[in-house]
Amino acid sequence: MVQYILKRFLYMIPTLLAVSIVSFIIINLPPGDFVDALIAQRRAESGENVTPEEEVGLRKFYHLDQPLPVQYVDWITGIILEGDFGMSLRWNRPVDQLIWERLAMTFALSLSSMLFIWVVAIPIGVYSAVNQYSIGDYLATFVGFIGLAIPNFLLALVLLYISFRFFDQSVGGLFSPEYIDAPWSLAKVADLFSHMWIPMVVLGTAGTASLIRTLRANLLDELRRPYVTTARTKGLPEYWLLIKYPLRHALNPFVSSLNDIFVNLVSGATIVSIVLSLQTTGPLLFDALRNQDMYLAGSAIMMLSVLTVLGTLFSDLLLAWLDPRIRFS
Amino acid sequence: MKRTTRMSIVALFVMLAVVVMPTSIFAQSDMMCETYNEAPELAERVAAGELPPVEERLPVNPRVVDPYDSIGTYGGQMFDLYNGGRLAEFRQFGYENLVRWSVDGSEVIPNIAESWEVSEDGTTYTFTLREGMKWSDGELFTADDILFWWEQVETNTDINPGGPHNYFVVNGVPAEVTKIDDLTVEFKFSQPNGLFLQNLSASYGVRVTQFPEHYLSQFSMELNPEGVTTLMEEAGFEEYGQWWISNVGSYGNDSEYNDPNRPTMQPWMTTAPFIGQERFTLVRNPYYFKVDPECNQLPYIDERVFTLVTDPEVALLKTIDGEDSVSAEGISQPTNRAVFFDNMTDDNYHFVNVINSNFNTMLLHLKLNHPDAEVASILQDINFRIGLSQAMDRQTVIDTVYIGQGIPHQQAPRPESPFYNERLATQYTEYDVDAANAALDMVLPEKDAEGFRLLPNGERFTFNIIVNEGFRSDWVDVMQIVERNWEDVGIDTNPVVVGDDVWRVRAQDDDIHGYVWAGENGTGLLPLVAAGGYTPEAAWGWKAWESIQLNPDAELTAEPVEPPAELQRQYEILNELQQAITPESQAALMNELLDLSADQFFTIGLSLPMGDYRVVSNNLKNVPDPLIAGWLYPGPAPANFETFYISE
Repeated sequence: MVQYILKRFLYMIPTLLAVSIVSFIIINLPPGDFVDALIAQRRAESGENVTPEEEVGLRKFYHLDQPLPVQYVDWITGIILEGDFGMSLRWNRPVDQLIWERLAMTFALSLSSMLFIWVVAIPIGVYSAVNQYSIGDYLATFVGFIGLAIPNFLLALVLLYISFRFFDQSVGGLFSPEYIDAPWSLAKVADLFSHMWIPMVVLGTAGTASLIRTLRANLLDELRRPYVTTARTKGLPEYWLLIKYPLRHALNPFVSSLNDIFVNLVSGATIVSIVLSLQTTGPLLFDALRNQDMYLAGSAIMMLSVLTVLGTLFSDLLLAWLDPRIRFS
Repeated sequence: MKRTTRMSIVALFVMLAVVVMPTSIFAQSDMMCETYNEAPELAERVAAGELPPVEERLPVNPRVVDPYDSIGTYGGQMFDLYNGGRLAEFRQFGYENLVRWSVDGSEVIPNIAESWEVSEDGTTYTFTLREGMKWSDGELFTADDILFWWEQVETNTDINPGGPHNYFVVNGVPAEVTKIDDLTVEFKFSQPNGLFLQNLSASYGVRVTQFPEHYLSQFSMELNPEGVTTLMEEAGFEEYGQWWISNVGSYGNDSEYNDPNRPTMQPWMTTAPFIGQERFTLVRNPYYFKVDPECNQLPYIDERVFTLVTDPEVALLKTIDGEDSVSAEGISQPTNRAVFFDNMTDDNYHFVNVINSNFNTMLLHLKLNHPDAEVASILQDINFRIGLSQAMDRQTVIDTVYIGQGIPHQQAPRPESPFYNERLATQYTEYDVDAANAALDMVLPEKDAEGFRLLPNGERFTFNIIVNEGFRSDWVDVMQIVERNWEDVGIDTNPVVVGDDVWRVRAQDDDIHGYVWAGENGTGLLPLVAAGGYTPEAAWGWKAWESIQLNPDAELTAEPVEPPAELQRQYEILNELQQAITPESQAALMNELLDLSADQFFTIGLSLPMGDYRVVSNNLKNVPDPLIAGWLYPGPAPANFETFYISE
């Protein structure tokens, strides 16, 4: 087992190196660089004009006058030797600081929407499988598919409108204006939850739908297996029988999708975060890509890749622990 | 025509007043008060011994600001939404240049400088600061603060690699900035710099007065090398320039306002770093140097509250909900007018008109020096441009895309400007397909079976126009109509729609024949400071030729091509304008430049932007109607936020 884990770690090195090269190239593929984007943006925002001399100066300031391979080597050696992910061009601040300060919020959001998905999807999935083709099953399927079909940002806008129109609540963000700077109190926690439900539900609905369907399908397969009939003839109570054997097998896809949590930490829920003005890492990465802020974008993608690789390893290990069939094959 | 002449005379008189008799005329409006009133909260702090009395906090001669409507009362909060872009974009909260535009943009008036003198030859500008005027921490504002900006920031190539902004440079030679005494500072140029005051009033002038020497010298590598090295190490920076931009800023950086310890001259100041916050509050500057005519220290409003909203639809919803005192520019668009109107009640908000200082919704800039000689000769043929212009059904565009707001207009100053030129503004704007066809027949007579015009080599001429939808999404709709108009006269038109990020580089590709952009800075005296905006913009070869005339070592971005004589004269005028020191000579040059533009007709315009608006909370008073929006007139900031007040 130790050898297996070690081997997996060794494989990561070339993978991540390849990812770093590819992501750096892709970020630089679109015509123009950060200075072009900056100048275009300043002009668009304000009509501000930048002279050719200023442009040359800006390029020198951001070290964009160097050839691309030199820029790449500078960046990657900084990461490997000093753990320095470079400077964000747009923010003029070290990249790791920018990402760190948004991680807590992103984590809270990923975790809460994950919990929401589980709490909602597992009972409904089990119910749908056990009562296949009942009215309840059809209803759950219908609602689930609607959730899957509506784009998240649209759902977010509609929910914002509802909370503004009918609950007279300040929309967007995670706190009402009066609580943002206030110290933590019961009222502040209550206020947080009164806002948190929107992103939670929005992010949850799509995930819920697909998990309901997967669980239902898996469980239906298991329920028809002979061991279920055997257990039933032995007189095992129905709910205990369900939880003890078929449900355990049917849960495998949940575990293998656990690595999503890690990925969401960096890329999580970009569009929903923009719509809801949430300070998560998603919009940061999105803006970095649009502005060709290549060290921020490249580093964020690097972190994303590391987390994906680690997350996959983690869920593989968890799966092996959960399911002896995987462990011994 | 009659109106134009009269306006010019008025404008000339105003400019005369500004440039020739600066000191005397403004001394009248600044009167003396025996005692001053202050906000109750500040009075309490004075009583508690935390602050000196208001008379000691204000300068001897405070700037007196006339409120738009009425004398206000102290208190309350003003709410703003911001989208996470540059907050340092001071247009949102203040405008404290050395000298500034009047509210209507027609003249330059004193601000931080109490008065100024211009030498007769226009080379030396001497500014007198206000005696006893203080930064927000109570330290005196002196000539040393301006010297610190000039020596440590503006001319420091680590921080500002391009060197001083071209406002401070004449013919390649930067100004000499000298401290005469604590309250007097002199800018001396090698040659006349006739538009210096106007330029200082514009947005870039903001940088001069935001670097308190007594606080910032600890961050200067030259003045405190050890301390700065330690600070840079702690923050994980290797380069001084980047660290400075991130912590102190030079111009247009969030860091300029992020440090709560840094003194400011603005009416409100930060209390905690705002970068990365969802919401932050600016509080009253107790030392703010302006008063109203009844001797009340400004600002009236206690706090400015900014809330981060990244999505425009959410910003719209929040504005309707009353969470924004003055609606943001980005959502105050013609398309949202109906939404605001439907949700308007007696007690939420009302509409305020906005004069857009832009003079055109969309200009077509042709790449007149296209590398393909054949294409270049077509684009340079005036009949080609006349044909395109007359084929445009501008009224339909205005009716459908701009909901009826606007009139057809070319690359010309707005009618409100003293430089309005009727011929330039209105020529070839009539929709006339026959005339268009006749003009185009003189350039591209041959057509193929589908009726599209052919190049002399027999290939169909495909006219590729690049559109930046990231800047203005309305242009995509405009171009759909214009594309059909031009195809009706046989030009196979192909709008290339791209986003902000690739626009600039894609526009330089050889298959692109031109791009569209807004016509900016067209109201009041702005055409004078942005005169280059009335010459062909995408004539990169001609422009390169001009830059090597001025400076043989200039950085070139295109192959130089000798321009036609009329354009050479326009380039000469642009240089003469900078050196012209009397308003009469400036006006004469400007009018000559615009007449030459009319003769050559290099750039095709669409329409005059009209019907802009903002919605303003009913409880917010003293908001001028109309407001002026713009950049070189950094609207709405010159509307004097400090005189706004909240009435219940």
